[in-house]
Formats: sequence, C-alpha cells, structure tokens
Amino acid sequence: MSVTLTDINRAEVLQYLGWRGSEIPPEVSSQLDSCLTDTLSLAAPRIVWQAFQPETLPDGLLQGNDIRALLADCREYVLLAATIGSAIENAIRRAQVRGLTRALILDCCGSTAIEAVCDAAEEEIQTTLGAAYLTDRFSPGYGDLPLAVQPYFLAALDAERRIGLTLTPSGIMTPRKSVTAILGIADTPQPHRFRGCACCSMFETCTYRKAGKTCGRQ
Amino acid sequence: MEDNKITCLDGAMGTMLQKSGLKPGGCPEALCITDPACVTAIHRAYIESGASILYANTFGANRYKLTGSGYTAPQLITAAITCARAAYEGTNVRTALDVGPIGQLLEPYGTLSFEEAYNIYCEIMEAGASAGADLIVIETMTDLYEVKAALLAAKEHTSLPVFVTMTFEANGRTFTGCTVEAMAAVLEGLGADAVGMNCSLGPHELYPLAERLCAATALPVIVKANAGLPDPATGEYHITPAEFADEMSRFSALGVSYMGGCCGTTPAFITELAKKVRPLTVPAREIVRKSIVCTPTNTVTIDGVRIIGERINPTGKKRFQQALRENDLDYILAQAVEQADAGAHILDVNVGLPGIDEPAMMVRVVKAIQSVTDLPLQLDSSDPAAIEAGLRVVNGKAIINSVNGEPEVLARILPLAKKYGAAVVGLAMDANGIPPTAEARFAIAKRILHEALKYGIPKEDVFIDCLTLTVSAEQDKAVETLRAMQMVRDRLGLHCVLGVSNISFGLPARAKITAGFLTLAIAHGLDLPIINPSAPAVMDAIRVYNVLYNVDKGAQDYIAANTGEPAAAAPAKAESAHDIPYAVAKGLGTDARRLTAALLDAGTPEIEIINGQLIPALDAVGTRFEKGEIFLPQLINSAAAAQEAFDVIKTAVANRGAPPVTKGKLIVATVKGDIHDIGKNIVKTILENYGYSVIDLGRDVPPETVVETAVRENVRLIGLSALMTTTLGSMEQTIQALRESGHDCRIWVGGAVLTPGYAKQIGADYYASDARESVSIAREVLG
Repeated sequence: MSVTLTDINRAEVLQYLGWRGSEIPPEVSSQLDSCLTDTLSLAAPRIVWQAFQPETLPDGLLQGNDIRALLADCREYVLLAATIGSAIENAIRRAQVRGLTRALILDCCGSTAIEAVCDAAEEEIQTTLGAAYLTDRFSPGYGDLPLAVQPYFLAALDAERRIGLTLTPSGIMTPRKSVTAILGIADTPQPHRFRGCACCSMFETCTYRKAGKTCGRQ
Repeated sequence: MEDNKITCLDGAMGTMLQKSGLKPGGCPEALCITDPACVTAIHRAYIESGASILYANTFGANRYKLTGSGYTAPQLITAAITCARAAYEGTNVRTALDVGPIGQLLEPYGTLSFEEAYNIYCEIMEAGASAGADLIVIETMTDLYEVKAALLAAKEHTSLPVFVTMTFEANGRTFTGCTVEAMAAVLEGLGADAVGMNCSLGPHELYPLAERLCAATALPVIVKANAGLPDPATGEYHITPAEFADEMSRFSALGVSYMGGCCGTTPAFITELAKKVRPLTVPAREIVRKSIVCTPTNTVTIDGVRIIGERINPTGKKRFQQALRENDLDYILAQAVEQADAGAHILDVNVGLPGIDEPAMMVRVVKAIQSVTDLPLQLDSSDPAAIEAGLRVVNGKAIINSVNGEPEVLARILPLAKKYGAAVVGLAMDANGIPPTAEARFAIAKRILHEALKYGIPKEDVFIDCLTLTVSAEQDKAVETLRAMQMVRDRLGLHCVLGVSNISFGLPARAKITAGFLTLAIAHGLDLPIINPSAPAVMDAIRVYNVLYNVDKGAQDYIAANTGEPAAAAPAKAESAHDIPYAVAKGLGTDARRLTAALLDAGTPEIEIINGQLIPALDAVGTRFEKGEIFLPQLINSAAAAQEAFDVIKTAVANRGAPPVTKGKLIVATVKGDIHDIGKNIVKTILENYGYSVIDLGRDVPPETVVETAVRENVRLIGLSALMTTTLGSMEQTIQALRESGHDCRIWVGGAVLTPGYAKQIGADYYASDARESVSIAREVLG
C-alpha cells in the first residue's frame, strides 16, 4: 500500500534542527530547500495497516498501563506500520562524506516526512472505517509501552513482506525512517490523552522544554 | 522441466496455514513438528491440484527468526522436508528447500554483515541438503546482496540446483531499489539455475516485469504471483482462481517456464493454473547479449563511452598512502563521491601498498565505497587473494583488473571471474612484456578471449586493455595502441579498456596530449577509458567525441556542459571574509582556507593561528549557539569552515616534517547494536576543530574494540553515543569493559535518550547534551 507525500512541513524540520526563532541565513535556508526537494523525491512512502479483534491480537503486544488506558473504550484495534524506504538513508550516508550539515538536514527532513506519512495513513484509516472514532496513534517507546513489543507489530502485519520493514537485533527499525503504531477503534469520541511533553521520550533532555517552550508537536 | 513445457509450482503455504488457524505473527515452521499432518495435507492438496515442485515449509527457518522459539533451523528444516516428502511417496514430485530473507537488513542499512548472513544461510543450505531436498529456492528477496550471500552458501555447501525469485514493486524495483536487469546480471553470473519473481503483486502487475526479465536473461524464468492485490483493511486478496489462471497463461508467450502462486493462492488456483498452462508450449527466447556491469540499483550497459574513475589508487600519491596506512576511509570515500559527482560510471579500486593486508583492506574499502555510491566497481590488484576477497563482498557485477596473456595468471584469475560472475580486463601483454606491434598485442587478446570462453566466461564479459606507452619515450608506439584497439573491436568484437594519462608523461601541457590521444583512442575502439573524471580536458574530449560521432543527439550534453551557470548550489557568495573569525562565523570555508594560507605565508606560527584565531572564533560561535542566536546547521557550517583552515595548517606542518599539532587524543564511538551516527559525527568534527585528534571507531562498535583501541593508542578520553533505550545496555557494557580493563580513562556519554542521571547510573564520568558540552569536557580532561 502506498500513500502520497506531497509536502514536507518546513517549520517542523526546523524544529527537529533545534531552531529557536533566530534569523536563518540565506545559505542555510537554501540548503534546507534543496533537502526538502530531495527528500520528496527520495521518499517512497509505504504503509500497511490492519484492524484486529482483541482476541486476534498477538499475545504480549499490549504492555504497560498507558496503552490499556488509551484503549479502554475500544472494541477493535488498528496496527499500522509505515516507512519512507531506504533511499533517503543512502543520500544521508553520501552527504556525510561531503559535510555534515546537509546530512543532518536530510535526516530531519526524513523524520518529518515519516510523520507526515503516518498522518496520511491515519486519514486513510479513518476514511476506510467510516463512522468509528479513532484514539491517538501510540507507538512502541511512548509512555510505558516498551520497544520490546516492536517485533509483535511487524509480525502481525507481515511488515517485512508487505513494506520491507525489519528490526535489527537491538530493536532498531530498518529502514530507519519508519514508524509502527496502534490506534483503538471506539464508538464514542476519544480524547487526546497522549499528546504533550510528559508523554515524550525526549522529556528529560528536551532543549525546548528547558527553555520554557515546546517543539509544537503536541 | 520438460523441454518447452511449463512446470507448475505450488501455491501459498502461509495462506493455507492461516486458514487452518495459525495466528498472524505465529511461527508457521513450528507446525512441521507440532502438527505435521496439517502441513502434509496442504502439500498433498497442491500435488493433487497439479504442482510438481513443492516448496517445503521452511521459509522463515533461520537462526535469527527462530531466536526464542525453542527450535533450531536444522530441526525445523528436517521436519519440513519430511512433511513434504510424506505427501508424494512414489511420485516424481520434487521438494524445494524454501529459503526466505533472514529478517534483518544487511549493512549498511542494518547491523548484519555480509559474512554473518552467509553463515546463517550455510546452516540452512546444509540442513536442507542433508534432509533430502531436491532443489533450493531462494525467494521473496528484496536485497540482492542478501541473495548473493544465500546463493554463495547454496553453491558452496550443496550440489543442488538453486532457483532465485525476488519481490518487485510495480515500478520494477524491489524495496531496496534493485532492478530486474541487475538481478538478472548478478544472479546469472553467480550461477543461479533459474530466476524470477514472486509475491507483492498479482499476475497482471507482474507481466511487464516478467517481460523485462525474459529479455535480460537466458536462464529459465519463474513467476509465482499473488492472488491480485490485498485489501488494505482486511489483508484479503481479490482475484478468482480462473482469473489468476487466465492472467498467468499469458506469461508462457514471454518464455516463462515455471509458474505457481504466492500470497492468497490456494490449491484451487493451482488446479485452474495447471489446467490452463499444461497444454501450452514455451517459445525459445532470443536474448541480445550485452556487456553489463552493475550494482543492484544502477546498471551500466557498455554501449558507448563509460568512464572508469582512476583515483582510488595509492600509486604515487602520498596522501592516499597515508590514508590507507591510517585506515582513514573518509579520505578514500571522498575520492569515490567526488568522482561519482564528476561523472564517472565505474570506479577502479586499487588499495595495494607494501606492508598492508591487501585482501582485508580491499574488503573494507569495497564495503565502504558501496555504502556511499551506486557505481559498479573495477577491482584492481595483482594479488589474486585481494581480487577474490573483493569479489566476494562486492554488491553487484564487478570487473576484474586484470589478467594478461600468461597462462598461469589466466589459470588463477579466470576461475574467479567465472565463479563470481565478474567481467575481466585482459592486458595485451605476457611474460615477455608489451609487444611492440599491434598484431602481436591482438594475438594475445585473442588468446585471452579463447581462454576465457573455455572457462565459460561469456564473450561480452571480456574487455581488452591494449596498453598505453609514453609517447615522449616511444613515439612510434602510440599508433600501435590505436591500431590494436581497432583490431580488437573489429575482429574480436570486444570492448577496450585503457589507462590513458600515461601517454603524456614527460611532456609539457600534458592535458593537451592526453585529451588528443583520448579522442583518437575512442574513435579506434576505446569505450572504457580509465581516467580522472575531475580533469576538465578529458571530459571535454569525451563530450566532443560524442557530438562528432552522433552519440550526443542534438549536442545536448555538450551544450549543457558549456553554457549556463556553474554547476551545484554554491552558497550565496555575496560576501568575502577579511579575517578568520568572520569566515568561521559565516561558514565560509574557501575564505578560511585563503586567509589561513596568507597568515602562514606571512610567517605566523601555526599554533598562534589555532589559539589566537580559530579557537576564539569557534568559542564565539559556540556561545551564540548556546544562547539560541544560531542553530545547529550554522554551528556545523562554521565547524566545516574551521576544518578547511585546519587542513591548510596540517599540510603546512606535514610539509615541514614537524609532528602534527594536537591537543590530545580521544575516541568516539556509537555503541554496539546502534547505527545512529550523525550526532557522533558532529561531535567528532567539532572536537577536531578544537585541535583534538579524534579516533572515530564508527557505529555498532563492540565493547572489546573500544577497550583494545583505548589501550593500544593510550587514549584517556572516550566518548560513547547511543540513541535508543535498547542500546543503552550496550553502552553500560562498554563502560564496564573499560573499567574492568584497568585502563585509566575518563568516559563521556551522549545521545537523545540519555539523561545526566542515567549517565551517572551506568558509570560514565560525564554527560554531554550536545557537541559544545563535549568540548568543555575535552578541555577539562585533556587541556
């Protein structure tokens, strides 16, 4: 399955780059533009998702309190896996030979792009399911849902075969710019429980938060 | 396979097992032990529907996927083959050991090395052969490099026929970008017995891809399609058995001789398929043989001038030799990327240097180069061991440089070309040296071709180098080289390789002679010049030839190269810096270089430039970064500008023969299991700019490598990076190993998921939240 990526949010890339509102010099601005263009052409977005009944969900996938709270009202669950493929990684590796700025910007563009792909996927899921209500998207590594559940996501979705997504032995998804997530399906509107700094894995070290600001992703 | 008849393969195993109650994500292979009757019943249903080759239920039976399952790969493979054989006692049905991807990506995408992948496959292949498989099918592959590991394992550990099918998207590429043509070129060379495609798409979508494959290979072709495309919400496939069989029957006209079903197909599909295709005959295919070299994503057809970049070669280059001795791959990679950007189509790789372990260096350099460019490689060595080591790990179809007319050399190298499916360059010389006449060189070329054919190397994979002699020393010989090439092209029909630049040695304005000779040489049959693509004169000569010989239609390339803007996005060059601090602050590398050189010329001591100008400039940039007045890309641009200044200083120091300027040595590494390295590289660059010598151990670095290096190089400060909660454990192990070694050192750690508290808990001395803090730590520890 594929969704189309038509735009990468420049402001979000700047946030990933740690920009805090200073003046952006023209040469950095043009580097950023060229990376945005390249990322759009390099990204090959692919998604796979499927709705599961509680009893067909792999044992051991629902770990921790946060995920139980999120899914409390839900009758079914959607598992989602998404990737923008590995061409962007080739470009990043190659850019590193010439200088790090471009590599860093491309990396941040890739991170922004995969989030955009997930947003598009969520829209597709919502459209397909019609009248149902979806919970927040919740990924391994958020809150107290450990990365150790990642293999269950990939296996249940046959993600290796369907979109080429695999895990290294230490649990890193490859291609690197990839996301897995679970969403609950409910018959009543679902609150946004898991947005905000407290649920972010960067909470303790975030430079925005230390400066009394947010990255805007809440 | 009966002559020109279609052999039916089976349909999906996974689909059938799920119908029997296997949970998504469950281990299908384990059923061969827990419920063998169920597996055998599925096989039997496929035989009854007309399949004459069964894929055993071994697709995921590998050491990695079975971790924690309680089973070993050989155990499940033996059980699976027994299940299959139980289904057809007494018939002529055959069982294939079904081999799928390992389940993790190979380096550089993941952490699995080619050699480890090969070992995993060896276990599978041996188990399959001893359990009685009749053939091996490597299927659903998306990475040609992984296929190579599997195919080598199969060929080196069994004598069974090996079929390979890969999985393509509708754009004709696999998930990792491999094309149909690259698959054909590489697998045919490595000795696959049949090739094809399976999974991912239905027959309708696979048809154009099968058409391309049938045109690209002389091997039997396999198609095992899905039952159409899956429904996104349910994962169900949509076409009927009759539609499937109809679509599949069209493939026979292309020359596809093995047909079956993949995801979503059942015995009903195979029944319809068998009914439909059994009466059909498969026409013989006429393949137009072409000279091709490739990587999985980039196929270079030699049907015009193709430039072989010559610069990865230490001969006569002090800086390159130093890079090899110091294992400085960054320098070598820069040469690779620069040549690729300048227009090289193929890269020559020569790492021969007295006192160096050439085979090991060849492996390292080949792997590193193919992680940053997609150009095919030409492995250049006089050491057969280095050639073989390179051929094993090369990802694609390479060229061997070279053999000559000596029988011993031919006997040593040609079998390697055959085994690994490489093209080979034959030098038109032998033990008596380079013959003076074109006729004598032609005779050797003919002999080389004859020998290559005897080894089963196809004619299109033999290239001849007629050898360039220096025209200032032997003026009458240039024309012999030209005549020899013409004879090789016209009478043998072979492509010619030639190192061109030697021609002008000893003459003034060498570029003029070289370019003139190159133009003549191309007209006489040279299509693989080995040159420096960054030299404008040689590139001009090729462009001129391409216009005059009507290759460059409408002179488009020529016009593009000779008009318009200077290429590449040169950062807005409005300002020019007057002092080093300004150049560093604005990230103006060229200015930093120029200003540093001027100061050195004026007699300013190196150390004064570093301490008086560069470091204060970097400190000022760092302070602005901390205050949020500039952000990370600007900090790195400044660091890059400072690096340019440092290069000038380093070269000046080296030229004086003085010891290098350094404020002390430190190590940086991304820990074992982790492959995130941009942050670590930023820290490295910035520390180097403050005058520290940084030993960069790279990513996925085992604890023992860190300890060994720290002890051997007597390094007192060690920086470790980890970006995942799952790799923090390996960071802790590395710290522990350093402490246990008794080596006196300080350790600092960084990475997104780390916190000061956690850093303390795992025994680090310091925590750095960014590159700037790393500088403060280095100052404290090393001064």
